[in-house]
Amino acid sequence: MNERSQLLKGILEGCILAVISRETVYGYELAVKLQQQGIDVKEGSIYPLLLRLQKEKLIHGEMKASGSGPNRKYYKLTPAGEASLKAFRENWKALKQPVDQLLDEEES
Amino acid sequence: MSTLVEENNEKRNQLNKENKKIYEDMMVYIRLSFNKSEQETEEVLLELLDHLLVLQAEGRDSLELFGSDPRKYAKDIVGELPQTVPKEMIKLFIMGICYFLSVYMLSTGLIQTILSYGFQQLEPMKSYSLGTTAIIIILGSFMLSVVGYSVFRYIKWSCFREVSKIKEFLVTGFIFGIVPGTVFFAMYYWLPAFGPTITFPVYWLGVAGVVFLLIGELLRRKA
Repeated sequence: MNERSQLLKGILEGCILAVISRETVYGYELAVKLQQQGIDVKEGSIYPLLLRLQKEKLIHGEMKASGSGPNRKYYKLTPAGEASLKAFRENWKALKQPVDQLLDEEES
Repeated sequence: MSTLVEENNEKRNQLNKENKKIYEDMMVYIRLSFNKSEQETEEVLLELLDHLLVLQAEGRDSLELFGSDPRKYAKDIVGELPQTVPKEMIKLFIMGICYFLSVYMLSTGLIQTILSYGFQQLEPMKSYSLGTTAIIIILGSFMLSVVGYSVFRYIKWSCFREVSKIKEFLVTGFIFGIVPGTVFFAMYYWLPAFGPTITFPVYWLGVAGVVFLLIGELLRRKA
């Protein structure tokens, strides 16, 4: 595991929590929502992350019959997940500006 | 659980040939990680299948789901699956041994009963040295576990690979057939008889086989 993908994984986990906090989604829907936000990830990469988030009890998945027929696994946040999302949001805010600034200074 | 598997079997038929090959390799690889929770395993397999079906309908490639290295992807999934409790594994192990003993005892019991009572070819009474028998059963079970485990490893290894059928036949036949077969025969012929001897009519072997079958079934129901 190189550092780059570790960092991306952490950010992607935060984004997944953010999407799920807005509405209950199933796997494919989640991939579409992330892409609509312009977060360009390989679609498959969400499934290992969903499994990990479930293991850490940040999200809860449940097989449910969808309206039109097939069983789908829908995810929603647990209280621990909401706390984790809040922490992610704060960390991100604290980091974003200084990092942007640092990188901008380097460029110019 | 079985409904998830059934749903998977049905939906899998909608995949085209190429997608089916890669998905089934993925499925076999993930399912063979036998110390993982079965419920979670089947759920994620179904999610992947649903996703792949959408990609197929949109005319997109399975690459977009599994990436350029599907084996690595399968490993990633397996790595994140929760483990089953060791208790479950021990139960499965004992179940396997019971089934093996029942098949062995039922078939030898039946054949010997027919030979001795039907054709008068064998003594209707048979003697067993308990010490020797115990060793054969313990070593035999151990060897079967090793063989079983190697079969698992081999099938996993062969996922996402093109293996020549002839080579596969020769290699697997040797490792999984000839080697354990030889060890069994060697045990029969060279192990000296020791321990107390018991003698009973050959059909009792069949009865014992039924008992092991029932224990195995009972464990399977509970599992």
